[in-house]
Amino acid sequence: MGAAFRSEMRKMWKRPATWVTLGLFGLMTVADLIGEYRRARKDPDDPFFLPEAWSQILGEEVVVGFIFASVLVILLVAAEFNWRTARQNVIDGLSKTQWYSAKVLLLPLLSALFLALRVAVGGSFALAGTDLSAGAALFGTAQLSALGGMFVTGLGYTSLALFAAVAIRSSGPAMAVWFAWFAFGERLLVGGLGSLFESLRPVLKWAPVMTFDRLRDYSQYDPETFRRASEWAARHERPAPELEALGPALAGSLYWIVALIVVGWLWYRRRDL
Amino acid sequence: MTSVSEPPIIQTFGLSKRYRKTTAVDDVSFRVEPGQVFGFLGPNGAGKTTTIGLLLGIITPSGGRFELFGGASAPELHAARRRIGATLETPNFYPYLSGRDNLRIVANVKRRGSTEIERVLDLVGLGRRAKHKFKAYSLGMKQRLALAATMLGDPELIILDEPANGLDPEGMREIREIIRGLGERGKTIFLSSHLLTEVERTCTHVAIIQDGQLVRQDSVADVTSHGVAGLRSADLEALAAAVAEYPAARWSKRRGDRLVAELEDGDLAALNTWLAERGIHVSHLALEARSLEDVFMEATGAAGIDGAVDQSSPAEAGGHRLGEVP
Repeated sequence: MGAAFRSEMRKMWKRPATWVTLGLFGLMTVADLIGEYRRARKDPDDPFFLPEAWSQILGEEVVVGFIFASVLVILLVAAEFNWRTARQNVIDGLSKTQWYSAKVLLLPLLSALFLALRVAVGGSFALAGTDLSAGAALFGTAQLSALGGMFVTGLGYTSLALFAAVAIRSSGPAMAVWFAWFAFGERLLVGGLGSLFESLRPVLKWAPVMTFDRLRDYSQYDPETFRRASEWAARHERPAPELEALGPALAGSLYWIVALIVVGWLWYRRRDL
Repeated sequence: MTSVSEPPIIQTFGLSKRYRKTTAVDDVSFRVEPGQVFGFLGPNGAGKTTTIGLLLGIITPSGGRFELFGGASAPELHAARRRIGATLETPNFYPYLSGRDNLRIVANVKRRGSTEIERVLDLVGLGRRAKHKFKAYSLGMKQRLALAATMLGDPELIILDEPANGLDPEGMREIREIIRGLGERGKTIFLSSHLLTEVERTCTHVAIIQDGQLVRQDSVADVTSHGVAGLRSADLEALAAAVAEYPAARWSKRRGDRLVAELEDGDLAALNTWLAERGIHVSHLALEARSLEDVFMEATGAAGIDGAVDQSSPAEAGGHRLGEVP
């Protein structure tokens, strides 16, 4: 297993797509946070320093990183079928289990990598505006919980990508299917089934992407951010945010992650290489 | 050296693979003994690559079974595959990695050190181009890299599927020399190819597959020498007519001033007696060597392989099948 993972690391770090996706996400993060930093300098009521800035750093844009991570998973896995290296690896002595397990290990690695990039870049920007002499805690339990939840969201997105890659075995179509499901496919399906069978609605809201997304709202982890979001909603006459029960969302996400990985494995093992 | 007690390196028992309505490999049984350089011949689509894929565990059999190094269970086969170096169809590598990095991946899987990478690179003459990306390699260089990868880990069995594809004559000669060298070092080699001359020059044993079925298996020496008689007589017409009626003659044809005929039993004395009883006296009667190409043509019904062999049948070449009018 160690040999398979070492090979995976060599393939990943030498693949230009790895650096392109990391670079693009890094640039997008920098551009986004420069915007936040400038806005904060103009508006003293909405500062950009730690720990308050975590709500921006760990905001919606984290999803972009998981999209890049998923694209990279598809490129790294599906290409092995195009190049027939998936077959050659097995011929050379890897078992199918070892090959697939090495791919599964990419999921936490890439989810953590893209999340860490956002945290590192964002944290550096916010730290520049932070008065360290004030002695406030820059990172706490709320941030740690949020990172954990978002990491699981990343695992969910990338496990869906792994499933698409091994089921379709071609980068372009796998990416198209993954993106279609992520962007509108799931919502269309859930909406359609929900309107046809009303009794299914409580189940349908636990569709995979919807379940993963419940864990990526930073305000659910930080009471102060939640309070501010509620005040903002009241001021602008918008529906008040609700506190999710994160336990079921976490259990649901883990269920989908395991299901996608296991079904992907069965699919991969059943077919000839 | 081969010991009598050693199990066959490969042994298949009625191996089959079906894809819906197509049968790619049909009840194939053969054995490869230690130290053999085994040529696996067949026209395109005959089932050569599928058979190799079955042995290498990348295709699941629909029927039959096989043993590698005497083992047949899943763990035994997995362990056995670590003793095999193989390449299937085209050389399969990561295009964005250098030749050396690609071999590092293979070496890592086979748990071999980097010194061995340099050894096999030198062996195939890629040492100076090892840092270049695989996608920049010519087909010949890709084939050499594939051969280098198969040799990593000093495997006991080397399986090569069309290793000379796309090579120029010089490249083919080099590959042939490498394979021959491996054979001389006692390695067992399973070589699938449609280049009959290459197989004849390189292999000790041969099997011919057509439409998924094994139609012949023997040593190259036996296959090319057994059963074909060359005959001369003052009256060649009478000789040809008599041989055409000989029960053990599969076919006969004229070649210049002589007649050649394949005998089921290879028994020249019986043929001579039979001819003498009909008043035909031969001035020359001897078993003749045939080329592997001739054997292949007969075995596959002159199906031919990509223009690598003469497309003409014995009948078209001036001979006749038994019972046909010459």
